[in-house]
Amino acid sequence: MADATALPRARGPRSLNLRLWLPAAWLSLLALAALLAPFIAPHDPLAQDLLMERLPPFFMAGSEPGYWLGTDSLGRDVLSRMIYGARVALFVALIAATITCLFGSTLGLLAGYYGGWWDRVISRLVEIWMAFPPVLFAVLLVAVMGTGLFSVIAAIALIDWTRFARVIRAETMVQARMDYVDSARIGGANRLTTLAGEILPNVLPSIVALLMLEMGIAVIVEAILSFVNLSISTDDPTWGSMIAEGRGAIHFAWWVLLFPLIALFLTVLSFSTLGEGLKQRFDPVLQ
Amino acid sequence: MLIRTILVRLLTTAVTLFGVAVVVFTLVRVAPGNPIAMMLPPGATDEDIANLTALYGFDKSLPHQFVIWLGGVLQGDFGTSITLRQPVDELVLGRLPATLELSIMALVIALFAGGLMAVLGARHRGGSTEVGLDLTSGAVLSIPDFLWGLLFVLIFGVFWPVLSISGRIDPRMEFDFTTNFYVIEGILRGRFDVVGSTLSHMLMPAMSLALPLAAMIAQLLKQNLKEALVQDYTTLARVRGFSETAVILREALRNAALPTLTLVGVQFTFLIGGTVIVERLFAYEGLGNMAIDAVINRDLPLIQGIVLLFAALFIAINLIVDLSYTLLNPRLRHG
Amino acid sequence: MTKHRHTLDVVDLTIEIPNGMRLLRDVSLNLEPGEVRALVGESGAGKSMIGKAVLGILPSALKITSGEILMEGHNLGSLSPRARRAAVAETAALIPQDPLTALNPVRKIGPQITDPLVRIRGWSASEARKRALDLLDRVHIRAPERVMNSYPHELSGGMRQRVLIAAAFAPSPRLIVADEPTTALDVTVQKQILRLIRELQRETGTSVLFVTHDMGVVAKISQKVTVLFAGKVMEDAPTRDIFTDPGHPYTRALIAATPSHADPNRSFSPVPDSLIADLHRQIAQDDSLYRGARP
Repeated sequence: MADATALPRARGPRSLNLRLWLPAAWLSLLALAALLAPFIAPHDPLAQDLLMERLPPFFMAGSEPGYWLGTDSLGRDVLSRMIYGARVALFVALIAATITCLFGSTLGLLAGYYGGWWDRVISRLVEIWMAFPPVLFAVLLVAVMGTGLFSVIAAIALIDWTRFARVIRAETMVQARMDYVDSARIGGANRLTTLAGEILPNVLPSIVALLMLEMGIAVIVEAILSFVNLSISTDDPTWGSMIAEGRGAIHFAWWVLLFPLIALFLTVLSFSTLGEGLKQRFDPVLQ
Repeated sequence: MLIRTILVRLLTTAVTLFGVAVVVFTLVRVAPGNPIAMMLPPGATDEDIANLTALYGFDKSLPHQFVIWLGGVLQGDFGTSITLRQPVDELVLGRLPATLELSIMALVIALFAGGLMAVLGARHRGGSTEVGLDLTSGAVLSIPDFLWGLLFVLIFGVFWPVLSISGRIDPRMEFDFTTNFYVIEGILRGRFDVVGSTLSHMLMPAMSLALPLAAMIAQLLKQNLKEALVQDYTTLARVRGFSETAVILREALRNAALPTLTLVGVQFTFLIGGTVIVERLFAYEGLGNMAIDAVINRDLPLIQGIVLLFAALFIAINLIVDLSYTLLNPRLRHG
Repeated sequence: MTKHRHTLDVVDLTIEIPNGMRLLRDVSLNLEPGEVRALVGESGAGKSMIGKAVLGILPSALKITSGEILMEGHNLGSLSPRARRAAVAETAALIPQDPLTALNPVRKIGPQITDPLVRIRGWSASEARKRALDLLDRVHIRAPERVMNSYPHELSGGMRQRVLIAAAFAPSPRLIVADEPTTALDVTVQKQILRLIRELQRETGTSVLFVTHDMGVVAKISQKVTVLFAGKVMEDAPTRDIFTDPGHPYTRALIAATPSHADPNRSFSPVPDSLIADLHRQIAQDDSLYRGARP
């Protein structure tokens, strides 16, 4: 049957590679733009120029050279704001998702492996948290903590830890019942070493996939909070604030909404595709 | 047996609701900014502030305030909105129909579109149609409702302005509603122009909410259908002369729908959670839009009431899904 | 030979998996009206696959690479998929191996019997219901009305197999493929089910292709036997002759492997390894010839 199992693999690696490389390429481009923003942005993202307001993008009549993607209602360059916006987006994605992941996965592992009171308390907390509409919860948290990047990150971690806790708890419970866990325990390993050394590596692919997914979600949450004017200040270039501006000026300058929206689509899609791809690549069962 | 299960569920539900109440109360009370100062005109004296603070009970200790508030809630008194000066329960229940109609329309779209994709994928399993559907649903799934909403605003607001992108109904529409269920009331009273206007306003927000769920249903239901389609009873149906489509619809679908249903329940609560931002995006006068205003205006009683209502709604949906799962599954029903 | 006389003709049937490995090798057999033919062999011999090929329900990875299947003289391979499905449904029925998975768990028994009658054959609902009740009675189900209203999980394995037998005979097929219909059942129930199939077969005159691994069952139910090993026909003979004078060493070994009816205490004697090895060597030779002959 060796030939039969080889069949689906024949086209597996190539399509998998493409699914890893395309998103990785977009995210790298974004990272590069974020790092080099001061050098590659054609204009100051904050510079207002009322003589240059609502310039259309380069492919339309009435565009100005140098303002490739047009300008917004205050005459600020859309491309430059998007490049600087990538900084905020990636910063929030990396920091918020990592904190959320560490916090949620830890609770999930503890609940799944130790069971008992750990599980009861954590599961009940998850249940209470899931009864909140997440967007409203985020808005409320930021309102309580005050606007700013720190609040946005804290709000994401305080809301989305349940996603990690739920999934990792379930997977840990499955792993904990496996024979290899018993044999490690019989071999003299204590519970914490077993958890870290035997179970964690097996749930890691899921953690990585969720982490990637969470990065995409973090970008969206930041955009949503900017949209309702609760992220960092309204003037700062973020994709969310551009979208909010664009939504208001939609009938006069739709490009202010379109380009950051495209960036958000690609970024969210890239994170989730990359997560799925990495999970498949590192999953010991699928290997 | 069934009664015991229900009782246990109701009890845990009460605990969860209590937890939600504690969390939301704590959050709202530690928020900076004095809501009382905001509601008074400039030039109000300290005495005015103190009077009003006492009126809303803000001068007492936090646990004391909580007990008072919870006591009120249990008697159906959710307090009075600070900004709108109306009882919270009236305000909240007045907006709930808008959000419910929107959510249910989104759910119906998601079930229909997702079901259709799943059946198509299962019918053409192993072919390029299935691969195409999988790629589509995978991409649609990872884009959240907020982005779909923005895309639709852009498409149907600017490039092809055929649908309204803000509000709930054409403001020129003359119709005196006795309830806030515009669609249902419009149908019952035979005013199909009202129904049409409302539905056309709801279509885009509902689509934004429905797309991710539709993709999820498409994937999961197709997986379950494929599992059912290798079972002996489907083979037997094929021998008996039923076409593949008939086998899927008559034999496999009901078996595959049961495990899908549990997921749809949880996801429906996520969908309702999504109405908060989608309503904002489309300026739709529902509960979520009101909630964001309440947060921005620090209207504490109103925030508490809305969050509690959402939580109760979510828990009720999960309860209903669990019970209907038991009722729909003949193996559990008699067990 | 006029093919129309036969209910079923399988002619030189070869089935392969995608890598070219042959699972069935030039298998031929036929069934006359009213005849029961046992298809016997060990697991993996390809006996169930013949039944599946006949009914058009082979897994999609398996391909018929040569040979023909004629049902009442119609070459199934020459028909469109839709016409083939109609022809099979018109002529044949299946009694499946596992009664636990062959009934849809979320549908009541009644419609599972009457559905094909109404929706495929175009009977009226009341005709179909009468027919179902009649057949449930004939498979000795005591409360047919109640069983019609039950879900599968409310019935025992033996009861479910009775239901499936009733469903198979309900549209008066001329051919029934019985795919190890007693294997999944308790020994005591096995005998009843076997007797039931034989009884109904005699009453209706239906031809039966009876797939089994059990030579004891072969003796009880069939008039003719096809012995299969590794997808190849070892022997094709009347049942009586097979037991009195087996023509192939493998058949002899199979009979010896069955507990004798005269002496149930006699121990099993498995087919000797040396014989199996010999047979495999022969088949490997055939295969290399076959591969060499292909373009």
